[in-house]
This record gives sequence, structure tokens and C-alpha cells, in this order.
Amino acid sequence: MSRHTFRLPDIGEGIAEAEIVAWHVAVGDVVAEDSPLADVMTDKATVEMESPVAGRVVEVAGEVGDRIAIGSPLVVIETGDGDGEGDREGEGAARILRQAQDERVLEHRAPAVTPEPSVTPNPGPVRAEPIELRAPTPHQSPPAQVTRVLASPAVRARAMDLGIDLARVRPGEDGRVRHGDLDRFIAYNAGGGFAPAGGRRADETVRVIGLRRRIAENMAASKRHIPHFSYVEEIDVTALEAMRGELNAAHATRGRLTLLPFLITAICRVVPDFPMINARYDDEAGVVTRHGAVHLGLATQTPGGLMVPVIRDAQSRNLWQLAQDITRLADAARGGTIAAADMTGSTLTVTSLGPLGGVATTPVINRPEVAIIGPNRIIERPMFVPDGLGGERLAKRKLMNLSISCDHRVVDGWDAASFVQAVRRLIETPSLLLVG
Amino acid sequence: MTGADAAPGRRMTMIEAINDALDVMLARDPMVVVLGEDVGYFGGVFRATAGLQAKHGRTRVFDTPISECGIIGVAVGMGAYGLRPVPEIQFADYIYPGLDQLVSEAARLRYRSAGEFTAPMTVRSPFGGGIFGGQTHSQSPEALFTHVAGIKTVVPSTPHDAKGLLIAAIEDNDPVIFFEPKRLYNGPFNGHYDEPAVPWSRHPDSHVPEGHYRIDLGTARVVRAGEAVTVLAYGTMVHVAREVAERQGIDAEVIDLRTLVPLDIAAIERSVRKTGRCMVVHEATRTGGFGAELAALVQERCFYALEAPVERVTGFDTPYPHSLEWAYFPGPVRIGEAFDRLIAA
Repeated sequence: MSRHTFRLPDIGEGIAEAEIVAWHVAVGDVVAEDSPLADVMTDKATVEMESPVAGRVVEVAGEVGDRIAIGSPLVVIETGDGDGEGDREGEGAARILRQAQDERVLEHRAPAVTPEPSVTPNPGPVRAEPIELRAPTPHQSPPAQVTRVLASPAVRARAMDLGIDLARVRPGEDGRVRHGDLDRFIAYNAGGGFAPAGGRRADETVRVIGLRRRIAENMAASKRHIPHFSYVEEIDVTALEAMRGELNAAHATRGRLTLLPFLITAICRVVPDFPMINARYDDEAGVVTRHGAVHLGLATQTPGGLMVPVIRDAQSRNLWQLAQDITRLADAARGGTIAAADMTGSTLTVTSLGPLGGVATTPVINRPEVAIIGPNRIIERPMFVPDGLGGERLAKRKLMNLSISCDHRVVDGWDAASFVQAVRRLIETPSLLLVG
Repeated sequence: MTGADAAPGRRMTMIEAINDALDVMLARDPMVVVLGEDVGYFGGVFRATAGLQAKHGRTRVFDTPISECGIIGVAVGMGAYGLRPVPEIQFADYIYPGLDQLVSEAARLRYRSAGEFTAPMTVRSPFGGGIFGGQTHSQSPEALFTHVAGIKTVVPSTPHDAKGLLIAAIEDNDPVIFFEPKRLYNGPFNGHYDEPAVPWSRHPDSHVPEGHYRIDLGTARVVRAGEAVTVLAYGTMVHVAREVAERQGIDAEVIDLRTLVPLDIAAIERSVRKTGRCMVVHEATRTGGFGAELAALVQERCFYALEAPVERVTGFDTPYPHSLEWAYFPGPVRIGEAFDRLIAA
């Protein structure tokens, strides 16, 4: 008779341990070769362990729920061959197995039964006890002390830095933990927070040509020549949004209105009182032309970069016409089919990032214009409003910040602020916007 | 250094560069004297002092009896009286009779006199093997001196460095042992003794600036940048290690220490922290060699950067052999094997 120690094999997932989730055998059972012994589970899969030999089960490595190390004994099976020498060796192995098992259980259970206060309360590292098939000498150290991880100082330093206990990392065949073993552990335990944000990528060199170069030149020229200032005001768009909803519901066939046509309408309404805003400044000639018509530039993101198509005579278009112009021009710009005539002659520009609008923007002026207006994101916030009884109450309101950047050479802060306040009044009282 | 490289100069052998350094210092400082066996009329057995007596006179460059103890002892006294002697010991193998004067007198004079006297002397001596010189003309006793507090130890590896380091050594107010790798006197040596010798004129570091320049003691030089392994070497082994890295295609960083004491530990740390692997190469015997000190420093300061044990490729713990010179010499094969072990680890 001899005893075969079946060790938990490498399940091939870069891990050091697995949990026993089911036993198919008990001590005393007779098993055939290839018959199931136990189901063990890693974080990724449950695997059925089959007996490599036929015989009688004499030891099992623990209870359901215990975690055991890869390479440590799972089952000891007594086979029909061999001699008495094998028996004695088997006795030794079984004794060590029991000892190891006891330790594991102690580790695994609540800290109350843990004899050493230094042991962590969580399931601690499961050690891969090398079980020698040899009778233990009386003075043999307990497994906890004989186990020692082999690793270079650099690997140790990295593991320490990452907060990884090297005992949990399955080493290579020669027993040493290398950087690669640590990498596999980190990859497998990404959920444990060990994985970094990502690998390093190669640097990329991008030539600034074509549209991107034109954007670069225009932006640089604008910032170089124009002393910008920006001004941001909060506007209550609750009423406007309500009206927009009603108009969209009532006139579905005319096309859907976004906020932009309303803003453009408000701007066009106000511009006659603030002619310094709707202007082009030829700074070499020293002449500002204050335009009688609003040719409104629409900053538009295209695959190639920023383009600014122009709504001509925006002051003469109604809400739905403006909405159609916006759609047509944006589609043409993005599709690359826009006519040159639709790209020139703007007198004032609006730049809207829609839902990406942020809290505030400081847009760069589309030179030689002297102002650029940027609506920001609409958010809902509690505000104090009149309660109709002479007091105040809290109400949910829709609020939007409106940003403007101006050329301080020809537009004063007073002008810009007054202009924005006028726009705000129209938007906050939308009936004025339509009937004005 | 960069400025000196650009300065006018010419290609020299290491012997010519050393001769030039002595010439510059004899002309520049009337306190400098050169003494030793055959250094005067004959101009030195390796020609390091050729023409100096004729140019600077017999009171500045002169022959001594065959007594190393006397040569060094006289130099200690000269230094105490304000001269700046540059004694030559004809071979490092013959320095031992003068060892007591160096260890007991020169090294301690500053300390014993509470700084009133110093020993501003530079002991020049050809050292190292690779010249079929057997046990009496091939030794590398640098570790005997690095172990003695109060002595600086310098080993150049190129004509350019030899001149700049020798001038810095002569100008130093404490005793300096200046070991000249004699295998490098007339050309760099890549360790392949069976291949034709290469003259210095084809090596970029044989360009030696005119006049006075210093290479400060305690500054190492990266002679080959690399990411995979750091090689710490000095003298002849700098060239041998570099050649092995080239031929095996190893991304090794080869550092020429140039001075062992004072040591440029910052340069060593910087490199080993980057590569995580370190090899020390020297011709001298292994036990208690300077490589042991380097290995100890590397593990003290770079332990958690190390991917592999520090390798030492050195002479064996035997007297320098004659017939088995190329087995003893830490040549390309042993350095190559050490590279392989370091990288596989």
C-alpha cells in the first residue's frame, strides 16, 4: 500500500490560492481514477478536480469554504500498490497535512480564536507549505516560519510599494517571484485596486497643417492683438424653457427649436442699442465699422477642428428660420460641403458647447470682430422667488450662465455688461422677446 | 571638461599626456619636483619623464638610489618643507618598501600635526597587468591604499583624463597615489590580447588640451550610457568591459570611476538605480579587493533597486601568474558570462 498526495494544481490564472466550494468525496470513500474529488473556485472560475489515481481517501485538506494554496495537498489517497515504507511516509505527510489544515482554519476563522494578536482578522495570506514526503524531525519549525518568499530586492520593493504581500503571489517554477509574476498578480487582481491607470504610450508627433494651422494662426493673432476681457452673468431661463417647450409642442411640423435661436433673437433685438458690440475693427487702419446687420458667426466643431459658418442677416430671420439655418450650416461645415460665402463676413460670433457648456467660458474673439458670446450649460437650482404675498419662497429654477469676451480697445466693460443685462432681460421675460 | 575638449591640443599617448602634465606643472609651480629611479637623465623606463630634466634642470627632475622607502620618505619631508614632490615608483609591484612611509607618515601627517603640516605629494606608479610581466610587473595593489585613511587613490584610463587627473593630484594638498595602467600607456586595450594592438591616435579620448586643466578628483565618467546593466571599472578594465558590451550587444552603462578615493558614489547610485544590475571589474585579487567595497556600497545604497546579486569579475586569489596570465586576467569571456548571469537573473 502507498499513499498518493494530490496537490491543488496550477489552475493557470496567476494566483496563489483557491477556495474549496464542494467535496465529492469524504475520508474513507473509494475513488476511481478520473472521478471527481472536489470543486475549487478562484475569482474567475470553478474547476472540478479529478483523482489521478484509484484508491481510498484517507485525508482531505479542509472544509468547504477554506482557501488553500496552489501546490498544497488537497487529498491523500491510499492506493493498492507499494510497500510498508510508503505507509510510514504517508503517515508523516498526513500529520503535516493535519497540522497545516489546523493552521489554515485558525487563520480563516474569526480573530477571537486566533492565538496571536498580530494575525490580521481578514483571511490572511495562505501559505504554500512544501510538504515533504518524509517523516518530520522533532525539532522541525512550524510551516509559518519555514515559508520564505524568494524575490530580488527590486521585486520586493515594488511589491512593498504596491502594498502586495509577496506570499500571495504565485512564484515561477524555480520558486522565485519575478516582476512578471507580480504583473500577472496585478492583472488578475485588478479589482483589488492594484492595477495602475494604464501603461505608458509612445509619444506622438502631429504636424499642424491645413485647417488646424489656420485655427492656430487665427487664435494666436486674436490673442496677440486683442486685449480680451470676459464677463459672465447668470440668467434664469425657466420661463424661456417653458415657452420653448410649448412652441415645440404646438408647432412640431416647423422643426424643433433649441435655445440658440432664442439667444440669437435676443442678441439681434439688443444690438441696435449697443452698436459697439456688433462691429469689425480694422486695427491697422484704425477704423471700427459698426454694422447695421447682424451676420452671426456660429462656432462649430467639425472633425477637422473649429469652423465658423455665418448666418447672414440674422436680425431678419424668425426663430424657425434661425433653427433651420443653424442646422443647415452646421451640417454643411461638418460634411465639408460648406460654400466659401457661408464662411465669411460675420460681425458677431456665438460659441455654444451645448451640454458640455460648463459653468463659464472665456471665448477667444473671432478677429476682426470685437465680441464673442458663449452660452453655458443650463442647470436646475433652488432659487428665492417672490411668493406672490410680498415674501419669498424657494423654487426649482433653470439657470444658465452667459459668457462674453470683448475687445477692450473698442468695447468698454460698461458696454459689455449693459449689453448682457439687456439680453438677460429679454430672455428672462420671453414674451418681450417675441412681441418686442 | 567640455571647454577643455574644445581647447587647442593634440593627440597623445597616455605616456605623452603624463609627461605633458608634469611639464606643465614644473613650469607653473616652482615647488614641484620630480624624483625617482631613472626619471632624470634617462627619462623614465616608460619615458614618462623624457626631456624634463633637460628642460627644467637637475634640481627639479632628478634620479634617486634604488630605495622606494627612501624615495617616499624624502618626498614626505620635502612636502612638509613646502615642496610639492612627484615621486615615481618604477612599478607598483615595488611600492611595498615605501609602504610604511606612506601609511605611517604621509597619510597621517596632516592629522598628527593638527593640520600644521601636510604631505602634498603625488606618488606616480605604473600598475596592472596585460603586458606579460609576470608576478613582479603586473600587480594591482590599489586596495592596500584605498584602505588607508588619508590617502587618495587615482587610476586614469585615457590620455585626456591622465593629464587632467595628474594635475589635480599634484595640486592636491594631501598624498595621492596615482596608478598608471601600463597596458594603456601606448594604446587602449580591449582585452583581446591576440588581436593587433590599437594606437591611441584612433581613440577620441587621446585628444589632450594644451596647458593646464584639471579633472577634479572624485568625479566618475559615464563612458558608455546604457539601461540594462551598470559596470563599475577603472583603468584598463574600462576599455575591456566596454568592448564586451559592444560585441555582445548589451545595453550596459560603463562607468569609469577614475578616482577610487574620493569615490563618486552619486554617479554609481544614479546608474544602479536606473539599471538594477551591477558588475564590478578589476584586475586585482578578489578577496578584500576594491570591488568588495563597491559591492557593499551598492547594496547599502541601492538595495531595493537590485534585480540581481552584484557581480564581481576580478583576478583570482593567487599571485599574478606569468604563463596563465590570460586565465587570470578578467577578460572578455568572464565579463561576458557575468553579463549573461546578471541579465538572466
